[in-house]
Amino acid sequence: MSGIEFKKPTFPERIRGMLGVDFYRLFHTPMFYIFLGIAAVIPAMILGTMGMENPQTGAVAEPLYTNTWNIVAAQSPLYVVNSIADYANMNMVFIFGGIMVSIFIGHDYKSGYVKQIFTTHAKKQDYMISKALVGAFSMACMCITYLLGAVGAGIFAGTSFKVNAGSLIIAILSKMIMSLGWAGLYTFLNVIFRKYFGISIASCFFFGTGILIIGAAAILGNNSILNIFLYGSSVFACLSSSIITLVVCLICSLVWFLIYITAGTKILSKCDVY
Amino acid sequence: MNAIEIRNLKKSFRGMYAVDDLCMTVPVGAIYGFIGENGSGKSTTEKLICGHLVKESGEIRLFGKDYTDAGVRVRVGALIENAGCFPNSTIYHNLRMQTINLGLENPDEEIDRVLKIVRMEENANLKFKKCSLGMKQRIGIAMALLGEPALLILDEPINGLDVDGMKIMREILVDITKNYGCTVHISSHILGELEKIATHYGIIRQGKMIVEMTAKELEGRARVFVSLKTKDMQGAKKVLCEKYDDVREEEDFIRIYDVDDAGEIVEFLIKNGHIVSEIKKNKIGLEEYYIELMSKKRR
Repeated sequence: MSGIEFKKPTFPERIRGMLGVDFYRLFHTPMFYIFLGIAAVIPAMILGTMGMENPQTGAVAEPLYTNTWNIVAAQSPLYVVNSIADYANMNMVFIFGGIMVSIFIGHDYKSGYVKQIFTTHAKKQDYMISKALVGAFSMACMCITYLLGAVGAGIFAGTSFKVNAGSLIIAILSKMIMSLGWAGLYTFLNVIFRKYFGISIASCFFFGTGILIIGAAAILGNNSILNIFLYGSSVFACLSSSIITLVVCLICSLVWFLIYITAGTKILSKCDVY
Repeated sequence: MNAIEIRNLKKSFRGMYAVDDLCMTVPVGAIYGFIGENGSGKSTTEKLICGHLVKESGEIRLFGKDYTDAGVRVRVGALIENAGCFPNSTIYHNLRMQTINLGLENPDEEIDRVLKIVRMEENANLKFKKCSLGMKQRIGIAMALLGEPALLILDEPINGLDVDGMKIMREILVDITKNYGCTVHISSHILGELEKIATHYGIIRQGKMIVEMTAKELEGRARVFVSLKTKDMQGAKKVLCEKYDDVREEEDFIRIYDVDDAGEIVEFLIKNGHIVSEIKKNKIGLEEYYIELMSKKRR
């Protein structure tokens, strides 16, 4: 007995292990690359709707956008959605990101790997943090491929590239920062519905669309109070962004990330793993 | 100090206690056979030890420390229900992930080591979903062995294995306790197999530990008996009942319990006109001991 040594791993050691596993898995699974591809294709699909001819009338449809960057972010924060053009931009990455996070975490439970994780030294908090950070990283990568896809589609469609470069960069950075908060939400939802894979995906899709905030905006109008929510801040990151946008997104994302991680950790600690 | 020490552990599901005031002591270096009927609380107990389920009350200590202690947990390996591997990943990738999780310094060497122990060094690049049940169970053991665990928790690891698979698994378990100083806690229904390797036993019923003993104690408690066959089984049994207290007809044999002298029985039967065609001395094994204990408890 005296020969057995027990060296307690520190928090950085534990989280490094968990992150290491999750990133290893992420890079070794085709799902990640498929979702990166999906993110790159979305802008092309949006721009593809422009100039499409109606086969019956022969009329050419009105283009959704005449400026390429509108596929990335709206011109101004529009919480009220009147048309698909008010909605279809980089925020859609967060919907697909939610599905990806759901599949990623769902496989932990489906395969039983989660048992291996929790049998050893990993704490519930480490699990929440690691999954959320990997989810955030994935969504940030999807934002980049979405951007590349938008540029490619814009060049192909010949749409305008006129923009305030500073605002554009801030908008993109802000949306990437928002990935953290969204990933926190999705990780939380997946922990709640860990026994029900389908419900996890459906709930992530539901919340990812921002439908609740869009509904609230229908009552409140374009009210900046909605920026306290993830979808609100994601919309706030638009082509008229300033440095304040970046700060608002950073605070919103971080606060929600912490709230969801804390709540998820509490739930996992109080409930059975499966 | 014990590898596992459980005191008054309780866990219920929808108001029904799956584990009820359970106490358990597993000494360091033991192969602890955990036995019980279906639904008796074996798996629940193991899941509680592994931290998969949240206990309601009671205490679980591993190597003298609280079971949540990260220092202890990093030296615990488990195979609960299945190997917990990603089906589309190769055996190597699955093991590699666990080496990263455990923060092992020489992952490839460690993977080679555990694959050798479970005799699967040639299969590292095989996808997990392509493996047979026996291979999957062995991969689960390999996974649990990463990082040289001090304690292994195995839930029905020999279930569904063929004779060869059981033999390999038995040899692996003996090997890791002898050569790696690992304590093994193993639940199984296949008592004959368990009897060949276990050094300690715990029998659980309705969530309560009803008996804990060493293999030597089982041997001491085991009743001896002489079993025999004659042409006239009923007649011989009637005659034997006059002299011996516990005579039963079981599995085409007459068994005379708590008697060691086969010669005396043969002599007695010949005197009474019965010719013995087959006779052997025996001891009650784990399986019979268990069945007898359970039937007593049910009464």
